[in-house]
Amino acid sequence: MTPSPDISQPEQAAPVSPSGTLAIETQSLSKHFGRRKAVDGLTISIPAGTIAGFVGPNGAGKTTTIRLLLGLLRPTEGSATILGQPLTHPERYLPRVGALVEAPAFYPSLSGRTNLEVLAHLGGHPRSRVGQLLELVELSDRAKDPVRKYSQGMKQRLGVAMALLPDPDLLILDEPANGLDPLGIIQMRDLLRRLREQGKTIFLSSHLLGELEQVTDWLVMLNLGKALFSGPARELLDRRGELVVEAEEATQLDLVTRIATEAGYTVTPDNGSLRIACPLDFASELNRQAREAGATRIAIQAQEASLEERFLALLKGDHA
Amino acid sequence: MIRAFRSELLKLRRWSVLAGGAVMIAATAFIAYLTFHQITSGATGPELTPLIQAFPTPQGLITVVGQARSLIIVIALIMVTSNIAAEWSQGTLRNLLVREPGRLRLLAGKMLALVLFVVISLALTLAISAALLLVAAQAQGSSTAAWTSSEGMRALLAFFGNEVLCLLGISLLGMLIAVLTRSVGAAVGVALAYVLVPEGVIAMVWQEGSKWFPVRVFNFLPGSTVPPAVGPPPPQGYPTALLVALLWMASFVVVSAVVFQRQDVNA
Repeated sequence: MTPSPDISQPEQAAPVSPSGTLAIETQSLSKHFGRRKAVDGLTISIPAGTIAGFVGPNGAGKTTTIRLLLGLLRPTEGSATILGQPLTHPERYLPRVGALVEAPAFYPSLSGRTNLEVLAHLGGHPRSRVGQLLELVELSDRAKDPVRKYSQGMKQRLGVAMALLPDPDLLILDEPANGLDPLGIIQMRDLLRRLREQGKTIFLSSHLLGELEQVTDWLVMLNLGKALFSGPARELLDRRGELVVEAEEATQLDLVTRIATEAGYTVTPDNGSLRIACPLDFASELNRQAREAGATRIAIQAQEASLEERFLALLKGDHA
Repeated sequence: MIRAFRSELLKLRRWSVLAGGAVMIAATAFIAYLTFHQITSGATGPELTPLIQAFPTPQGLITVVGQARSLIIVIALIMVTSNIAAEWSQGTLRNLLVREPGRLRLLAGKMLALVLFVVISLALTLAISAALLLVAAQAQGSSTAAWTSSEGMRALLAFFGNEVLCLLGISLLGMLIAVLTRSVGAAVGVALAYVLVPEGVIAMVWQEGSKWFPVRVFNFLPGSTVPPAVGPPPPQGYPTALLVALLWMASFVVVSAVVFQRQDVNA
């Protein structure tokens, strides 16, 4: 994938839901396989024009959810709308959706180009689009080779080209970075950002939490088929982190310890400072109470938790 | 459906599909030549007698070519079954359904292309086998006037038309098996087991009932165009056999459509 010149610069996430509309909305969506509840009353919403990260441990129900959204599985209960159209009528929204589900699947004895042409014919997309996409994912020089000769990373890039065939408004990608080398991952990240700038919505399932943290505006966390969190990524990351409190006098730190402990947070002394695991917005309240108690010469620093730390905390049942 | 049909035509370039057609052509030509050689070499036997009697007649050509009919049926069944089931086994079905969510349109377009491929393979098979036999007969000084007479051509066309109907039924049976099994290995296994066990073994002990079995009914249709001694002629009569064949085809289509439409795609 051709990188744009500014890929090394960290980018700000786009404003959430610039259009105010929802690309995906599910209501109590469930899918049961026998007695196993793969997706269990899932209610989430993804604003249009965002990159939404979809995370969860193996078996959390991510792929099942994606298959439900693509009309490949029939829900046991619940409803959903995709691009404003009901899940029960996939023919109304799938022409505007591109998808890469699990490992990309191709006809191994056909060339990369023919594999794309098969889908271009089926979707009624112009053949010229195939050439453009092969160029975009940098497979033009191997386009005539049978796919069985492609490396995992090349197959993954062909899968991304396949998902982009309809020039979709909504792109659903399931582990698109699988098999990509570090440069490929950076290029993928850059591509996703450029697609978002074009107003597309990207629903991105990935285990690479560090990658998601860099590109997502919105997050959906799933465990045991239920949503642990669905909302702006910033809200989740700000929700809980660590406050580091420093003071010249130990008595002032004692006061801070008492205030934080009474508020129900864990305080850990660390080389003459305190580390308080709490929501970052507790900082102003702590500062106010400390001043009232007489601790006027303290310095409070907020440290965000990483997405990985938040993910683990949510899995352990910490919903604060 | 036309988009699905055109898309499927591209996939027929795969060597595995082309190999199926090539095997059909080569095996039929080989069996036809072997039969021809046995007849013209003066060999005798109860199995050869009806063939020897039919050989100089206008039905002589189709009698000899038709000796590979069972093989053609088996190859067509494997080709269609494996081709459809492979969409599940390879996981490509999900790609297809995202681009064409109308499942029945997808299945219909796919079947149209596959049946077209089977019919073209059959036409080539008959043409090549017939040409081979004509050349061989001329080389050996055997008369082929009856084969190329207008009656002979009518017999050839009737045979081709009924063989097409037979292979259409076989293809629809293959589609049903593939939709139900959703795996190449299972689909081909079930298809072959079905032809061999219920249609083969049960037929030996229950002839009266087995004449209604689908593969046998389909096979009766081209069997009715060759001399009865070569057959197999439809014991229930051609019109009844045709009606039953059409009913089998319709039921395969309905069951496949209902199952495929409601099926979860986990592949």
